[in-house]
Amino acid sequence: MNRLAEFEERALPCLDAAHNLAFWLVRSRPDAEDIVQDAFLRAFKAFDACTGEDIKPWLLAIVRNLAYRWLAARKKAANVISLEEAVSARTGSGEGIELATQEASAEDLLIGQAERALVAAALSELPPPFREAIMLREIEGLSYRDIANVAGVPVGTVMSRLSRGRAQLKARLTELFEKEDRDAV
Amino acid sequence: MQCEEARGRIGALIDGELAGEPRRDVEAHVESCERCGQELADLKRLQRQVAAVRASAPPALADRVRAALATEAAREVGTRPPVPAVRSLDALRIGLRGGLRRSLRPLMRQAAIIFVACLVSAAATWFVLRGADDRATLERDVLSAHVRSLLQDNPVQIASSNTHTVKPWFAGRIEFAPAVADLTASGFPLAGGRLDYIAGRRVAALVYRRRLHFVTVFMWPSAGAEETRPSSMTLNGYNLLTWSKGGMTYWAASDLNQGELKELQALL
Repeated sequence: MNRLAEFEERALPCLDAAHNLAFWLVRSRPDAEDIVQDAFLRAFKAFDACTGEDIKPWLLAIVRNLAYRWLAARKKAANVISLEEAVSARTGSGEGIELATQEASAEDLLIGQAERALVAAALSELPPPFREAIMLREIEGLSYRDIANVAGVPVGTVMSRLSRGRAQLKARLTELFEKEDRDAV
Repeated sequence: MQCEEARGRIGALIDGELAGEPRRDVEAHVESCERCGQELADLKRLQRQVAAVRASAPPALADRVRAALATEAAREVGTRPPVPAVRSLDALRIGLRGGLRRSLRPLMRQAAIIFVACLVSAAATWFVLRGADDRATLERDVLSAHVRSLLQDNPVQIASSNTHTVKPWFAGRIEFAPAVADLTASGFPLAGGRLDYIAGRRVAALVYRRRLHFVTVFMWPSAGAEETRPSSMTLNGYNLLTWSKGGMTYWAASDLNQGELKELQALL
């Protein structure tokens, strides 16, 4: 099998994970797609350096680094309003976040559109390191060890970020749900 | 197990990062403690909620990434990328072009080989001819310069047998210091020096005498650093001798016989 075919066979299954991570870090679909494409190209060029059995953490680490570089570049652009501010300005409505989910899954049926909007809003308020740990754990199902490799931090840091991130997320969600209930009344 | 201790580990429990005895301990505690049981349920619900906001890649992204990878792979190999045939007309056109290219390939290769062979042959011929030509021109230049100097009243511009008079005379007239030797004791008294023009450059010419014969020794800095052994030739009855030594190229021209010319060369 040639190098390209082998890379595609191993890397393309991680496309959703890569896009999810990029999207939740930069929260812009066009930018997330650019980051994913760039990451896959870089990964392909450096494919020989990936010696591990599982390509996913390695690939996600590349996505993550590019996303952070993009975030840093956006921060430098002073005339751009931070999305964080834009989102928190209309917290509760959640309409600032465009969900990339394409079709209704089993989870979608369990958890309604309104609830997902609130979760998305709460997630957007988390600092990126917490958000990324939660994304990698809850959605991509990475082990602590793999998350540590992707984020380039010790396992202990991953555990504390997850724990603090979950606590913040839970508290914020509770607030948002209560607020919505009040608004409904 | 204490509540505080267990609480911090519920996350690890639902993440499947606990095993063996610690796992059993936390599980047992959660069973018995209402607050910790609630925490476990909350975290599990949070997991489901977060999992529901997964931003899956749009279908077009996979195609885009594949196309970019194919281009990159083709660039690495140095060939054209396999263009994804989207429309049938495009596919047909590309297919035709590809087939034509394949059938032309052996012919093109032969043409390329012949072209390169011609190029190498032409370059070699030019190189050899030019080299031979240079050498012949140089010989004629040297001889002409020597003979012309003898046609004039005085073959030297600075007439002195004193090396300390002749050598400083060249300073400022040429960009190198010529080797000037007083060989009176060996039977080659110095007559003097002059400037001359050989192979498109100003050179130093030193004139030595041997009985009634004049010997002109031309010298200039060599192009390369290598030393060459003396090689002699005869042109119009004159003897020429050339060698290079110490980064300088020497040409001696005289109607003196080759043996005595070599004697002078050995002294310089």
